[in-house]
Amino acid sequence: MNVMRDPTHENLSELLRQFMDESTARATQEDLKAVERMMAGCPAPTPSRGILSAIKTQMIVSALHRRRRIRIFRRAMAAAAALVMTILIAQHGRNPAGSPSTTFASILPAAVWESNNLAADDPDLVYFTSEIRQIEAQMRDLEAGDTDIQGRKTLDELELELMAMETEFWKR
Amino acid sequence: MYAGRCYGYFYRLTGDRDLSDELLSELFIKLVEKIGSYKGGAFESWLFKIASNIFHDHLRGKQRRRKLLDARRAELELEPDLNESRLSDNGEERLDRLQVQVGRLDADTRELITLRFYSELSFKEIAELRSEPIGTALSKLHRGLKKLRELMEG
Repeated sequence: MNVMRDPTHENLSELLRQFMDESTARATQEDLKAVERMMAGCPAPTPSRGILSAIKTQMIVSALHRRRRIRIFRRAMAAAAALVMTILIAQHGRNPAGSPSTTFASILPAAVWESNNLAADDPDLVYFTSEIRQIEAQMRDLEAGDTDIQGRKTLDELELELMAMETEFWKR
Repeated sequence: MYAGRCYGYFYRLTGDRDLSDELLSELFIKLVEKIGSYKGGAFESWLFKIASNIFHDHLRGKQRRRKLLDARRAELELEPDLNESRLSDNGEERLDRLQVQVGRLDADTRELITLRFYSELSFKEIAELRSEPIGTALSKLHRGLKKLRELMEG
């Protein structure tokens, strides 16, 4: 302890004069110097090497315990955060009943993108397709067989009927 | 470096080497625990604030234990154990004499003078550490120094 110098670098005389009159400030400063000289002349005992060594050991143990506590705390926090995230994800993905949900209107018939076989899945289409197939078969029979006047007439009728059906189908 | 100064601070306040050992040990354990609360600035100020708190906690504990004793006896027991001090220092007369005279000051003034000497803090910092106006600290110091000087030179 270097008492004779002022380790605090404060202007003591100026400070004392702010709170005391001139003579009291001077007396206080002299008393302070005298007491500091006495204290410097009578140094307090110093801690023994044994106690310093024991304190160092205690500090190391305390630091290790502190670090361990921090590590446990961090792990607990990470586990808690993971649990909260899991719960949030589970709740978000469930879409509870009654809660508003987003519905997208389709501009295409469901059959177009839901069916693998349009002609088979749409009842109207099934009906007209079968009609067309039947007429086509009759036409092929007629073309392959007799082409007399009666047959030609029947063929023309069938073609007209086929055209009418196709037109009617697309009007629906 | 700090250990010696802190030990001196505790010893001057208690006059008991074993107790100073205990308080010093407690101080350094507290430092490890509270190191996160150190926000920079004067380390001595932070260190001696903790040291001062430890000493006051010790005093409070001591006072609790002595609650059943009468006020005069309690006051006498707060005085440093001079015999123990003398024995532990192998008859260093001057040291004992200073410790005796420091022990005759009231606890607050004793702490103020001891804090100034061992912490090497400015009076502004000491007043801040003690949570009292600087004028009050200087006034106590003035009375305490005068008394101690008279006791030592008388």
